[in-house]
Amino acid sequence: MSEDSVEDIVLEIKDKSELMVDLAYSSLLYDNNTIAEEVYDLEDVVDKLYKDLQRKTVENVQNKKLSVNDALTVLRLAEAGEQIADAAQEIADVELRDVELHPIIKLSIKESDQVFTKVQVNEKSVLAGKTLGEIKLGSETGMYVRAMRHDNKWLYGPTKRTKIDPGDILFAKGPEDGAKHLADLACAKTSDI
Amino acid sequence: MSEKKKRSIFGRLQRTPKEKWKKEEFTEIEYEPTPVKELLTEMKDISELIIDLAYSAVLFDNEEIAEEVKYLEVRMDKLNYDIRMMAMMAARTKEDAEQLAGILQVAEAAESISNAAGDIVNLLSKEEKTGPILPKILKESETGMRIIAIRRGDLWIYNPQSDIDIKADDWLITRGTDEGFDEIEKFLHGKLEVLD
Repeated sequence: MSEDSVEDIVLEIKDKSELMVDLAYSSLLYDNNTIAEEVYDLEDVVDKLYKDLQRKTVENVQNKKLSVNDALTVLRLAEAGEQIADAAQEIADVELRDVELHPIIKLSIKESDQVFTKVQVNEKSVLAGKTLGEIKLGSETGMYVRAMRHDNKWLYGPTKRTKIDPGDILFAKGPEDGAKHLADLACAKTSDI
Repeated sequence: MSEKKKRSIFGRLQRTPKEKWKKEEFTEIEYEPTPVKELLTEMKDISELIIDLAYSAVLFDNEEIAEEVKYLEVRMDKLNYDIRMMAMMAARTKEDAEQLAGILQVAEAAESISNAAGDIVNLLSKEEKTGPILPKILKESETGMRIIAIRRGDLWIYNPQSDIDIKADDWLITRGTDEGFDEIEKFLHGKLEVLD
């Protein structure tokens, strides 16, 4: 069992479940099994976190570190996160079935407010060799990198310390105009962040 | 979805009437042909926005945002009915049925997400007696930096689109990283002229 506080675990469930929703929709958009399988793995992680949290919360009540009301609030908030994670898994399930996806699914995801985009980083791009924190990609373009592919390896939910190497493929989410900006940056068409 | 239609759902200045959701909750379901694509796009959009709105309602202890969450939750129920009806009408062959089942599964999941968001805002209700622990928990979450709502006087714009002008004295509800927040705060207070 982790040494994290109750608050830390709730936050982790929240962040993971939101990441899962993003990954699940993008697995459908790119018809990508690997991303969908990651959603399944994350669901196991969230289940485990939720069980840890339940135990820890009850212990905290017993030790009088947490009031009954606070404990219930914590558990109910986490339960909602857990349900969101389950829903993300249901979405990923559609990708993993051996049925060709209805074209409408892709179209709907493409037309929505928050679009997903997939770009490969050119070696001449200003992004190459930098960490996500250094270039402040999120604050500047509105595009959040939710997954990265480095050769044959994948990285889900990168942090600001994650370095971008030339050739990496970024899966990002954000507004439409941000997607174009990111694409131009990645293919070295522009270097203005 | 056509731009015009989209405008009518998101990014408009509004004030969600109190308990509007209750009035809409059990409205009669009537078959009205709507493209499945439009329905699914709206459901996906709502499923993403509603999570952000629910957590901000709880973080800021804000009943007005909570009302919008409840309204969107009810709207999602209706969309889910509509999409099921459309899918049934569209199925002609076994292959259709297989593919349409996938669409309904995604729609159902989007609906579950909105239900979870509804549960989150219910934590604000008086009967729950929630302590100040909620803002404490949610203070330091780390994903994203976008404006999810603008408050202008008594009115709200949820999920503002890129063509919305920000006016002096507007309140912005954003989500994002610490550094992003420091920057945007300086920028909005006029201490910083460019966001770099």
